[in-house]
This record gives sequence, C-alpha cells and structure tokens, in this order.
Amino acid sequence: MKKALEIFLGILTAMGGFVEIGELVFSVDGGAKFGYSLLWVVIVGTVGIMTYGEMSGRIAAVTSQPVFFLIRQRAGYAAGLTTLLAALAVSLLTCAAEIGGVAIILKLLFGGNYFLLVIIALVFFLTVVWFLSFQAIERVFGLLGLLILVFVAAAFYLDNNWSQIASGFVPNLPAVETSKDYLVYFYFVVALLSSLMLPYETYFYAAGALEDGWNPSDVNLNRVIVIIGFAFGALLAVALVVVGASYFKPMLIEPQLPGTVALAPASVFGKVGLILGLLGMFFAFGGAAIENALSGAYNTAHFLGWTWGKFRPPKDAPRFHLAWILIFLIATLVILTGVDPVQVVEYSVIFSVVILPLTYAPMLSVANDPDEMGPHVNGILAKSLGWFYLILLSIAAVAALPLLVITNGGKG
Amino acid sequence: MSRHYLDLSRELLDRQIVDSNHMLCGKVDDIEIEGKEALRVVAILVGNRAASGRLPELAKRVSRGLFGSQLIRIPWKEVDVITHQVKLKSPAAEFGLDERKGFAFKIVSLLPGSWKK
Repeated sequence: MKKALEIFLGILTAMGGFVEIGELVFSVDGGAKFGYSLLWVVIVGTVGIMTYGEMSGRIAAVTSQPVFFLIRQRAGYAAGLTTLLAALAVSLLTCAAEIGGVAIILKLLFGGNYFLLVIIALVFFLTVVWFLSFQAIERVFGLLGLLILVFVAAAFYLDNNWSQIASGFVPNLPAVETSKDYLVYFYFVVALLSSLMLPYETYFYAAGALEDGWNPSDVNLNRVIVIIGFAFGALLAVALVVVGASYFKPMLIEPQLPGTVALAPASVFGKVGLILGLLGMFFAFGGAAIENALSGAYNTAHFLGWTWGKFRPPKDAPRFHLAWILIFLIATLVILTGVDPVQVVEYSVIFSVVILPLTYAPMLSVANDPDEMGPHVNGILAKSLGWFYLILLSIAAVAALPLLVITNGGKG
Repeated sequence: MSRHYLDLSRELLDRQIVDSNHMLCGKVDDIEIEGKEALRVVAILVGNRAASGRLPELAKRVSRGLFGSQLIRIPWKEVDVITHQVKLKSPAAEFGLDERKGFAFKIVSLLPGSWKK
C-alpha cells in the first residue's frame, strides 16, 4: 500500500514538475507560429528525458553516486569543472527566469510593483526551502503544479481537429513564406527539444533519489515513475502546443508572456480558468526555481566533495546550504537589473542544449559499464536510445548558437 | 576477493574522501608520489592548490586568484580503506577538513533553525 502511494505520488510529482517557463513559452509560441507541426518534437524530447531521467535515477539507486561525482570521475577535473561551471550558469539563468515568471504571475494576481514582487518571491523561496523538507517541497510544488492541467482541458474544448493534430506527430516541415522561416522553425525545434530535456531535471531527479535513500530494489519504481510521470507530463506539453495552434495562431497572436498564455483557459472557463492557469504556472515556475537553485548546490557539492543534502541540518552541511541561498540571491539580482525574464528563458534554454551532451556522455558511459552497474547495466534499448540522443543533442548543440544569432532569437 | 593493485587514476584520483565518522570531506584532488624506479604513493592532496594545478596555466591562475591556494596533505598511512570512496582513519577536523570550522558554517549558524533537519 505504502509502495503504491509512493508510486502514485511520484508519478503526479514528476508530471506536475514537468512544465516550467521555458517549455511554456516555446510550446505555446511555437504552436502559434507553426501550428501542430512541432508536436513531434514533444514526443522526441519526452522519450529523450525518459531515457536519461531513468538512467540517472537507476545510476543513483544502484551506485549511490550522484551525477557530478560521475562526471568528475569519468571526465577528469578540468573537463568536469567546465561542465560544472556551464551547468551552474544555466541553473542560475533558469532560476532567474523562473523568479521573474513568478513575479509576473503575482503581479497579474494581486497587482503591485514588479520589482517589489521579485523581492517577495525571493523571500518566499528562501523561507520555503529553508524550513520545508525535501519531500514536502517536491510534493507541494509538484502536486499544485498540476493545476496547469487546466491547459489540457482548454485544449480539448478549443480543438477537436484530431486528424490534423495527429499529423503533427510525424516529423515534418511546415508551410512557411520565406526560407528564413525554416531557420526560425529549426530554432524552435532545438529550443523546444532543449526545454523538454533541460539538464537540471536529471541532476535534480538523481539527487532526489539519493535524498530519498533509494537502493537497487528501487530500480523498477524509478522506471515506472519516469515513464508514466513524464508521459503524462508530455500530455501537458502537447496541450500547450495545441492551445498555441488553435487559439493564438488564428488571431495572429504570438504569445510570449505567461499572462497572454493564460488567456486561453480564461477564454474557455472564464475567471476560474484564468486563476487556475495562473496558480498552476505559479507553482510550476516556483518548483522549477527551487529545483534549479538546489541543483546548482547539489552539483557544486558533489563535484567538490562537500557534505550535502536537505536531509541534513544546515549546520551539518553549511557550504551546501549557503550555495543554494547564494544562487537564489544572484538569480534575483539578475532579474532586478530589469532584464526581460522571457529573454533570459531563451538564453538559458539555448545554452542548456550546449551542455546537455557534456552531462549525458558520462552518464551513458557509467550506465553502460557492467563493473559499476552489475545486473542493472543498460540493456539494448537504453543503450541504443542513449546513443541516439547523445548524437542528436550534439548536433543540436552545434546548431543552437548559430540559430539563436541568425534568427534573432526566433523573431526572424 | 582481493586484488594486489590499485588503478590510481580510475580508483583513487577524484574520489570522494570520508572521515572516520563517515563525514564527507572533499575529493582526492591530486596524489603525491615519490621514488625513482619503484614509485609509491606517499600522500593524497586536497584543496584548490592541488586541484587547480591540473588546469591549463591561465585557468589555474584565475582559479587560485578566486578560490585561493589551500593545500592539505593527508599521509597515505592515514588512509583506512578504499572502496568507491576513500575512508580516513581519523576525524576530518584533524586534517583541517571539517566544514563546521569554516566561514560558511559561521554564516549559516546565524540563521534561525539551522540545527533542524
């Protein structure tokens, strides 16, 4: 019974934690620009994050070693440090973007000065992470993030053009006006793929498995949570693309602000839809802000060998606790400069794809190693998918920055 | 099952160090080796001086400028057992590796509830 509850809550948490501001922006805006033709990317990205999420959880359960232990052992100090610094930069940017997103939502809900709301969001996050346990944080933000399911309901109401939706799941090129629009399309393909596979998701997932004290007997629990939780999470991402395609595209609106995105459920369910959408975004962005700040602290502690863990009192792991506090403070300073959070999201998503191969290569090498993994070594499916995504992401990583520059951040 | 060799770069370098109380206290940042023909490990080195020494020249200088050049030398005879981590025979404080003596500890312990889980 206890195990069943754990699986159920794990699935819901994985699902609720699936969406963050980058994915929201790129899914809805991508749908508004290119209709259903980006839907196949959601499937490719979801299978990718399932592959590496499952691998990171299995490695943690079997070897009790977190991701950056392995990165340092496999890649050495210099290459490992480069990966750590890049991962920290991306976590910091993503955390900043989510804090900005939360402040925007607070402004829409309650009004007030944006910069003051950024500070309020910071105080809220510091208090929550300091006083709540890891499990409580995971559950509260994961479960309340499920309010974002209102977008799935909205998608059903707004659209029943099933054959067209189905055709989007096959890789395709949309009908566009100029050849430059193809580059914008590829920019959205890369960005959406990256936002679905953001590296912090695997860092945080593996660290969570260790916080929960997983051992080799949890390998199947890990598999069920990842596959079912992320599959339902993908349903959310699909709904966001469909909302973009069916609600915003006909009106020629290219929504980038979270407030604009919330107009879709508002148009179907009125005020209740609007508030549910905004609250869902609040918890989804808030959860992602916390996960990024904690991931940065976990990664640094794991790389440098510090004592770590939310399960330890701060006095027993002082550097780890100071690290996540500092990440929140620096991320807030970034947002207080007045930079547009959506712009920050775009940079964080594009830079993420550059570090994804650096993160996943050592993970694949460990999961393929029978000396480390024993009977839980990668089977033929995990190995093939692992290699496929490593190659795909390496190509995306090379293309990401040129596409960002040439398309002017997707604006054409 | 025992082996009579240890692959230093795979099984010692960059491994987690834990003290006699199982407290995590840094990584094997470098290894001190002596001898001319028969080489032997005399100490494991911990700290940014050892770690940054493995970076290219410019990165090394930046790293030392930012994070200092602390170096802690742990004699090989202080190593108790090596599994996937390196366990020491004594508590971390004896080597100056106890986090609860540093400045992060001072800041964190000023905050309310810092002793609670």
